[in-house]
Amino acid sequence: MSEKIKKLFREELKIANIGLEIFYRSLKDQGVEAIQINWQPPPSLEKGLKEKLDKLL
Amino acid sequence: MRMETVKNIVKTNLFRDSLQLMQLSEEAKKLDGVVDAALVMGTTTNKEILEKLNLLTDEGKAATANDLILAIRAKDESLLPRIVSIIEEMLMKPPTILQPAVDKMHFSVEAALEAMPDINLAVVSIPGRYVKEVALKLLEKGIHIHLFSDHVPVEDEVEIKRYASERGLLVLGPGAGTSIINGKAIAFANKVRRGAVGIVAAAGTGLQEVSVLIDKAGLGVSQGLGVGGNDVKESVGGIMTLDCIRSLEADEETKSIMIVSKPPDDSVLKKVVKFIEEETRKPFVLCFLGTKRYIPPKKLAKRMHSYRSLHAAALGMVKLIDPEKYKIAKSDISLKLSELKKLCKKLSGNLKPNQRYLRALYTGGTLMYESLLIYRELLGKDVYSNSPLDLKYKLEDSYKSYMNTVVDLGEEEFTAGRAHPMIDPTIRKLRLVEEAKDPEVAVITMDFVLGYGAHNDPVGAMQDAIIEAKRLAESNSREIIMMAHVCGTDADPQNSSIQEEKLRSLGVTVFPTNALMAFASALVVKRCKISDEKLKKMYNEFLNV
Repeated sequence: MSEKIKKLFREELKIANIGLEIFYRSLKDQGVEAIQINWQPPPSLEKGLKEKLDKLL
Repeated sequence: MRMETVKNIVKTNLFRDSLQLMQLSEEAKKLDGVVDAALVMGTTTNKEILEKLNLLTDEGKAATANDLILAIRAKDESLLPRIVSIIEEMLMKPPTILQPAVDKMHFSVEAALEAMPDINLAVVSIPGRYVKEVALKLLEKGIHIHLFSDHVPVEDEVEIKRYASERGLLVLGPGAGTSIINGKAIAFANKVRRGAVGIVAAAGTGLQEVSVLIDKAGLGVSQGLGVGGNDVKESVGGIMTLDCIRSLEADEETKSIMIVSKPPDDSVLKKVVKFIEEETRKPFVLCFLGTKRYIPPKKLAKRMHSYRSLHAAALGMVKLIDPEKYKIAKSDISLKLSELKKLCKKLSGNLKPNQRYLRALYTGGTLMYESLLIYRELLGKDVYSNSPLDLKYKLEDSYKSYMNTVVDLGEEEFTAGRAHPMIDPTIRKLRLVEEAKDPEVAVITMDFVLGYGAHNDPVGAMQDAIIEAKRLAESNSREIIMMAHVCGTDADPQNSSIQEEKLRSLGVTVFPTNALMAFASALVVKRCKISDEKLKKMYNEFLNV
């Protein structure tokens, strides 16, 4: 077993929940230390604008 | 004179997720003057449901999947402006509506890591096409992942899993509905005691059912690792299945290992069996839910046991670990074939000759699949489904049952823009009442999956529909046999004993396992007229260990 998995199985869970808040609530209900990341889809840029930005950057 | 009136308001390009909308709908229903209300995204599924609820107007019909529909039936038109303004205000509040509210919201992995530098696991449920970028970033930081998201492109899945495997990290999923890590339920999972059984599952409700049955037998689970259905396919090659087996083999707490999955692709199966043979010493229980029983190679025959149902696999595992507990568990969750026949004869006594069909309304995908395997043997191949074993028997319209029908209400056509039926019972309530109208229906079966993530009172939520279905049948001088299986423990937030008691008080026959319910329902439909030889064979195959 990898050291990292062995460590996970031994440690207290510390969880980042990315997405549905219902899972965050479930973790909190179980007394798990958790943090909520409110993920948003990246804004879609118009094709022309994206090309210009790519050139600039 | 007061007159009920229906109004739809469409909010163009406004998005709220299905769970938030479900909660808002519940709050809207409680407002003064509201008869019924629903807030939904304008997907085809949702519009069909609004139509069935008599909540759809022409305005709603014109909405697209990117628009939010606010549908209200008010006691009187004059009350509408006030109701609409309250709901609009609710809708415009920040979308954190769950309790306890999030202490502090973070907007990036980096920000979260600053607040909690020792994050060791991420639970990810974002749209599949965005998963790769987020997952690779998490793995780079050394964080294991439970990936609930589905629709992750398979090439992304392979890349993420290879990257993780090379770094000794776990990626559970994509499409992993359930994991149990260090005794904690991740996503949809039950509260089961900790113990000696390690489980690797490519089948979400399969992991729930076996872990619950193992708990009921007085044993426990060390780790329950959901790898996602694709992992055992050739395209992914079992990357995480192998890593998980390796981890459980090395884990001191784990004494024996169970694998739950639909039959893996041949190349993956060979790899997994070779790995078990060469790299492991612990005993294994395999539960490959397939049309044939998998026979382990001779070299492994002593420490590898193979079963075809979740019921048999759980019992087989208990037998392996604790023969005394096995005897008790067997009498708790099984019925002898003679008892089963007796029960089914009693149940079918009042059925009319034309009541020939079964309707199984499932929320759990693997439970549905397990039942299909049993029905195939006992009712014949022509059992229709929206997700059948043989495409020849695919329902033309998932919303309409035909002859013997088994429906997975968690499939995409029912969940586009809606919460899963384990959380939102609306679709099954409507379907149950529809089925009860059909004079040819003899038996209706339902699963109730408890645990974290699921509805807080799934039986209570179905109660009105169960009563209505029974009333409909009685008013036509018929009786419909209703059967249920509750997949959960008494330690679950919903308490399985309380849920089962509620079902019994509604006149529903409750079964301790899904396989037993499927077997019994088939016997009722057939009025026990299945040859003894076949019955015995199938009983031994699915229920006897």
